[in-house]
Amino acid sequence: MRFDTLRIRPNSFIKKALLMLTTVLTPWILMAAADVVEPPKEFSLANWDWVSILTWVLALLVILVIARAFDIGALTEKITGKSVMSWNNINAWIAIIFIVLSLAGVFWELKYHGQYVLLGDSSSLHGETYDSMFYWTFGFTFFVFVVTEFLLFYFMFRYRYNENRKALYYFHNNKLEVIWTIVPTIVLTFLVLRGFTTWSKITGEVSKDTQDIEVFAYQFGWKARYAGDDQQLGNQNFNFISGTNPLGVAEDSKVEELIGDLKKEVAQLEALQASAEDSTKAWKARHDRFVSTGLHITYPEDYKSLKAKYTDAVSGAYERTLEKDIKRKKTALNRISEYRKDKDFFNGAGDDDKVTTEIVLVKNKPYNFKFRARDVIHSAYMPHFRVQMNCVPGMPTSFAFTPTMTTAEARQTKGNKEFDYYLYCNKICGAAHYNMKIKVTVVDSEAEYNTWLASQAPLVTPAIAEESQKEEKDSKTEMGEMETAMLTNNPTLN
Amino acid sequence: MSTAAIHADTHHDHHEHKESFISKYVFSMDHKMISKQFLITGIVMGMVGLIMSLIFRLQLAWPDEQFGFLETLLGKWAVDGKLDPNFYMGLVTIHGTIMVFYVLTAGLSGTFSNLLIPLQLGARDMASPFMNMLSYWFFFLSSVTLLSSVFVETGPASGGWTVYPPLSALEKAMPGSGLGMTLWLAAIALFIVSSLLAGINYISTVLNMRTKGMSMNRMPLTIWAFFFTAILGLLSFPVLLGAAIFLIFDRSFGTSFYLSDIYLEGVGALENIGGSPVLYQHLFWFLGHPEVYIILMPALGITSEVISTNARKPIFGYTAMVISLMGISFLSFIVWGHHMFITGMNPFLGSVFMILTLIIAVPSAVKAFNYLTTLWKGNLRFNPAMLFSIGLVSFFISGGLTGIYLGNAALDIQLHDSYFVVAHFHLVMGSAAIFGMFAGIYHWYPKMFGRMMNKTLGYFHFWITFITAYLVFFPMHFMGLAGVPRRYYQFTLVEDFNVWMDVNKLITVAAIVGGGAQLLFLYNFFYNIFKGKKAKQNPWQSNTLEWSTPVERIHGNWPGEIPTVYRGPYEYSRPDREEDFFPQYEPDESAPEVLHTKETKSAPDTKKVEEVEEGSVFFAAIKRVFGLS
Repeated sequence: MRFDTLRIRPNSFIKKALLMLTTVLTPWILMAAADVVEPPKEFSLANWDWVSILTWVLALLVILVIARAFDIGALTEKITGKSVMSWNNINAWIAIIFIVLSLAGVFWELKYHGQYVLLGDSSSLHGETYDSMFYWTFGFTFFVFVVTEFLLFYFMFRYRYNENRKALYYFHNNKLEVIWTIVPTIVLTFLVLRGFTTWSKITGEVSKDTQDIEVFAYQFGWKARYAGDDQQLGNQNFNFISGTNPLGVAEDSKVEELIGDLKKEVAQLEALQASAEDSTKAWKARHDRFVSTGLHITYPEDYKSLKAKYTDAVSGAYERTLEKDIKRKKTALNRISEYRKDKDFFNGAGDDDKVTTEIVLVKNKPYNFKFRARDVIHSAYMPHFRVQMNCVPGMPTSFAFTPTMTTAEARQTKGNKEFDYYLYCNKICGAAHYNMKIKVTVVDSEAEYNTWLASQAPLVTPAIAEESQKEEKDSKTEMGEMETAMLTNNPTLN
Repeated sequence: MSTAAIHADTHHDHHEHKESFISKYVFSMDHKMISKQFLITGIVMGMVGLIMSLIFRLQLAWPDEQFGFLETLLGKWAVDGKLDPNFYMGLVTIHGTIMVFYVLTAGLSGTFSNLLIPLQLGARDMASPFMNMLSYWFFFLSSVTLLSSVFVETGPASGGWTVYPPLSALEKAMPGSGLGMTLWLAAIALFIVSSLLAGINYISTVLNMRTKGMSMNRMPLTIWAFFFTAILGLLSFPVLLGAAIFLIFDRSFGTSFYLSDIYLEGVGALENIGGSPVLYQHLFWFLGHPEVYIILMPALGITSEVISTNARKPIFGYTAMVISLMGISFLSFIVWGHHMFITGMNPFLGSVFMILTLIIAVPSAVKAFNYLTTLWKGNLRFNPAMLFSIGLVSFFISGGLTGIYLGNAALDIQLHDSYFVVAHFHLVMGSAAIFGMFAGIYHWYPKMFGRMMNKTLGYFHFWITFITAYLVFFPMHFMGLAGVPRRYYQFTLVEDFNVWMDVNKLITVAAIVGGGAQLLFLYNFFYNIFKGKKAKQNPWQSNTLEWSTPVERIHGNWPGEIPTVYRGPYEYSRPDREEDFFPQYEPDESAPEVLHTKETKSAPDTKKVEEVEEGSVFFAAIKRVFGLS
């Protein structure tokens, strides 16, 4: 029985398609390869990449030879009526070459990229347990991967079609099937048990001497809150968030200021609401005038924005928006005043809290990060410490860990003087998701940490709280500067 | 052929002439036509999804480069040839949605369930042809709705294909959460309607409309896979519909199912309190996890069929294959929490989900080993379909093994949402399933169009796609292990990630080459519909029933009586037969149904054969579990 032979007519579309494809793609691949190997040089004869050119020529030659071989093969086939080339064998050979080359490639990549796996040694205490779990899993899976993939392609090669042979009629073997059900079960049981203990250890009880730090995520940045001298983080609520109180800490003066602002805004909106009918008329008149004088053709851009306002006004969308805004602000005001009644909530613990734009930790000291999100879900990701936890609006989450390697030590081991730890956002959160990060510094001693913390301004300085508005203004500008600093770090917001 | 059958034959011919263009090609109720409609829509959607991925790959490889043609193509989304971050997110989201739902759910299972369930079981059509037609048209509407969202002024939905609220619920949180998101939800709701209509149909057809002799344990593994897939879809898609409806309420009617304690820049504190974003994740992944098996299982079914046919060898461990499909289906409903280990879910719940998740590796391992044993000592014919099936097995192994890392709650801390995850699911679910789909297309193309595809082009298509798929996804494991997060618009702003720039370029180049190879497929597919070589009756010398139908499409599938089935579908290379195949529909009373290897030496034990014939797979399963056989 003849099976699977190639019959190519000269000038057949296959050949054309192939040649086209290779011609189109080869320069791409070579260019990219050259780019990967080294940056482009100045154009001169001496700088010509002779290796690439030779590769090019060689590739072209190979293509021509193959094309010629196809032609000759097809011709011979036509004359003799016998199949010359068996694609079945070619595929089998490609399979065996593929598996040998790609397993070599895998080993090469392990050698080349292996140094980046898990970013080197862990920088946290639980990270060591994590790493050992990882390498156990890696050992098992890599072994299975190599063996099964090799067998798959080896079988392809070994048992390729031969018309003189019949396949083995073999549909079932209980013993064999039981073995390969039980063996993976045992291996997985081992991995599950290990995983269970590792997971329990990492997420287990937090010891009492652990320091709490609040990590606050928002579109698009992070802030941290440290307790002041009272060693206690103040209460907070999302309704208290304002320009001068970005984390919404329950602190009297800031919240009172927010209440004042909200009341003012409500009054303004209500005034707009009262005059809504008049403004609708005004927009209508302006719109009609614009159209009747033909200005909408001369100034299409202006007309576009005018028309949007006009449509909003006429359709009642403008009034509805006003109404919604007023309702929302009033709800916020009501909620804040409910909280204000609770003196335990406003216990003054937050007054000396420090809101920072960097996280500083002391080596070998246990920390518990308490995560909050302001607007959407974010995820705090610190790969060097094997730490990740989602920050969910309305649901407090936390992660406890102990850093074991200072920034200075990490710089030394990595041989990079500018290396810094970062906490990244790892849950899609909007346009600037890719640049939402905060620096994490691990210092060697408590003293270093204290110096840094002392340099951070508390939410309100005790003296200022009693005094006049002048200082309040100062703190406002300070916060403003902080915001600007944030913004300059974040090019997409500019 | 009896006189009645001949009469039926002429009746059918008569009927054929009456078909108008609209009833034949547009609002067709013939399962074969509907399957082609699903396939071609799926291919079109797949090309859109592929092109989207190439555009965002360009951005990742050359973030500082300006591509003039992008501005021509995308207008304001690529000013000066630089992709807009919001649109990047939109592309990522729509790429994911298209590939997961439109190509690999509807395109794969819609095509082959529709084609093969009646043909391989011996039915004239689906249980309810009208519902079947509705199912396609809901799918079509859904596709149009989704694609139209790309042209909305504020851009398409861009919160990732999982569209987690609050990001997707708040219009002010990102532009894509405006009208684009509304359209996304509408599209998904329509899609779910389509998928439920189809699922009910598949299940009832499989259970009720098998031809004489086609007991459950003689069904091809494709049918088993489609059957379990339909059950999964029927039980899990309504939950997604619920999640989507809650989200619609939160977005448009001011409810707080998923929203609480939110302060938005430029808006202020929102009124919503008491909701939980994590609730959405639970509902979403209750569908989302079965969904990955809804995608993969039909591909595994197709692979079983194609490998057995082209290895000229019975599929090894038919019963074990069915039991593992069953096990995977059952387990897939109770493992959804492994997508949520680090959402702040109770750690104890995390450990439970971890244990259940890793159990799923056992039936998956059994399947992989069974495929290997089927190839062992076979007589392998490398048709393009066979190559794609072997490619699937390769992806299934390499992608499946990384699931053991991700299913482990402890290891997930580091790997969650990193490129490791991207590598994992693109191999085990994306590439594997699309290879299953290609295998199916190459294998059943003669049945669908009555013509053959060009094999040589198929070989080039396979090897280029296979190699580039590995080049694209394999290095991503290493990126993920080095803590590179997914869904980042560019990596140059983080110094640590700069070492991956050359890898990113390699991936993009490989993706472009792989994408280009799909042109070979498109050409091969569309050209040969019209100009291909006429197909033979049974071009692959296969055993299953669909190859007994006439090459030319007719209404009702078989001109006369539906053939009777005498044996299982995988009786290849039987020592008692001269030919290396033995069709299910070939009457030969003297031949025993199954030839036990031991029995070939002695006389066949007819009593035992009888027993096998009557016992269902379930019965056999119970016997196997308790070691009775």
